[in-house]
Amino acid sequence: MIAALKRSVLIWPAMLLIVALYLVPSFDVIRSSLFDPDLTTRHIDRLIDRPVFMTVFWRTVQTSLIVAFAGALIAWPVAYFINAQPRRSQFLLIFLIFIPLWMSVLIRSYAWLVVLGRDGVVNSAMLGMGLTTEPVQMLFTPAAVQLAMLQILLPIQIVTTYGAMTEIDLDLMRAARILGARQGQALRRVFIPLSFDGAMTGMIIAFMLSMGFFITPALLGGPRDRMLGNLIEVQVAQLNWGFASALGLLLLFGTLGCVIVLRFCGRMALRVLK
Amino acid sequence: MDRQRTLGSVLLSAWFWLIVVFMVFPIFVIIPLSFGSGDLLQFPPQQYGLRWYHAYINDPLWMQATWLSFKIALISGVIATITGTMAVIALERHLGRSRVAFTYLITSPIIVPHIFIALGIFIFALRNGLSGSQMLLIGAHAMVALPFVVLIIGASYRQIDPTIERAARVLGAGPMRAFMVATFPSLMPAGVAAFVFAFFVSFDELIIAQFLLKGTETLPMRIWANLQLDISPTVAAVASLLIVVTTVAMAGAEILRRRATQKLAD
Repeated sequence: MIAALKRSVLIWPAMLLIVALYLVPSFDVIRSSLFDPDLTTRHIDRLIDRPVFMTVFWRTVQTSLIVAFAGALIAWPVAYFINAQPRRSQFLLIFLIFIPLWMSVLIRSYAWLVVLGRDGVVNSAMLGMGLTTEPVQMLFTPAAVQLAMLQILLPIQIVTTYGAMTEIDLDLMRAARILGARQGQALRRVFIPLSFDGAMTGMIIAFMLSMGFFITPALLGGPRDRMLGNLIEVQVAQLNWGFASALGLLLLFGTLGCVIVLRFCGRMALRVLK
Repeated sequence: MDRQRTLGSVLLSAWFWLIVVFMVFPIFVIIPLSFGSGDLLQFPPQQYGLRWYHAYINDPLWMQATWLSFKIALISGVIATITGTMAVIALERHLGRSRVAFTYLITSPIIVPHIFIALGIFIFALRNGLSGSQMLLIGAHAMVALPFVVLIIGASYRQIDPTIERAARVLGAGPMRAFMVATFPSLMPAGVAAFVFAFFVSFDELIIAQFLLKGTETLPMRIWANLQLDISPTVAAVASLLIVVTTVAMAGAEILRRRATQKLAD
């Protein structure tokens, strides 16, 4: 026992960070939503009674689903293309995907502000080409938020899907071809089911990250495009941390619930595919 | 048949490049705009100049924010890299069957929304009288970066041949010396890559800092505050600098890591 403790000493500093700054604070959030200072359902009641909060929750789920699903559809062919290239160029191509991934969400959201604004790149180009006589309102719409979130989360989906594809033994495709399957058939019956799990994982990661978004909807969305993260920020700014915690729990468990449903749907879809 | 296949691959490569442009173009379009010298961001700029770069460098608020972010990122990056490397060694060598559980625990902050972690840190600070504490912010950033460090260094560690270190032990080196001589050099590139990654996790982080700090600002907080009021083109200059620095540093770290991985694989 002592020997085991002694040998595991190297993990202690990391565990200290995790316990003190991740587990304890997470527990604090749960506690703050239920105790104020005595056990109360005040915060949870407010969450359920006022329809506006549930509306924002469902909007957050809806936006995240749109972004994650569109991302998965866009990412799959991109990952397939990279995976089909010779090894050396794969490295260069994946590098191109990494570049946007490295930029902070703040910078990438700001970039869309510059691109889609009234005097932004798109409007100036359209005015210059005579496509429109008045600047088109693109900012502060749901589409602007979704477009930017898609761009921010796509690299992660591409990298995850591609990573899973590299594990697929391409001899299986060859075997299917030899046994008489046409290229399209081999793709549909062998490669797509095998790469499905990776695409699904990418989609779920994108969905989870997108549920917690706060910078992008605040900068690019109108008041009606606010997401759960924005509500939490407002409550924290007003020092209502009890209610902010109730929203935080809704975010966490809502996300978890959706992920379970998504996994289930994914398994169903895979069965249909096969 | 063949024709169909070439058409398919042309379409596929067109799709790939279209998506790359979609992902990269909005970011890099900021750079030419930042060299405009009008009062507003204009596309294309009427006149070019360094006006907004001067505005950035000569504004003490921007400079203080940059310096604070740099300090916090440097310290939290070092903490994350050291604790993460130690954790990898413990996970791979000493923890046996509990390895999987600990790996899950240490890497799980990746999937928890930052806003939830920030909320937790905010309440934790309030309860413990740590509001505004830069030390707490450094710790929180190190914690958020830790999973990435463990993943990056762990991947490299598993490629190292453990027999070299055992040989050093057999030849009489102590455990520390054997590690430093046999394993540490192969771990260095991944360590540098992990540090660069951790540095930028902290340098770019907005929400935890926003919830925690009072009276002082990090660079993302300064950008954020600026975007809430008026969008002065100074942000474009700051963003352009960040884009270039991030790309160069991360690309350098990634190339270093890949080279080392290939060398180990050969």
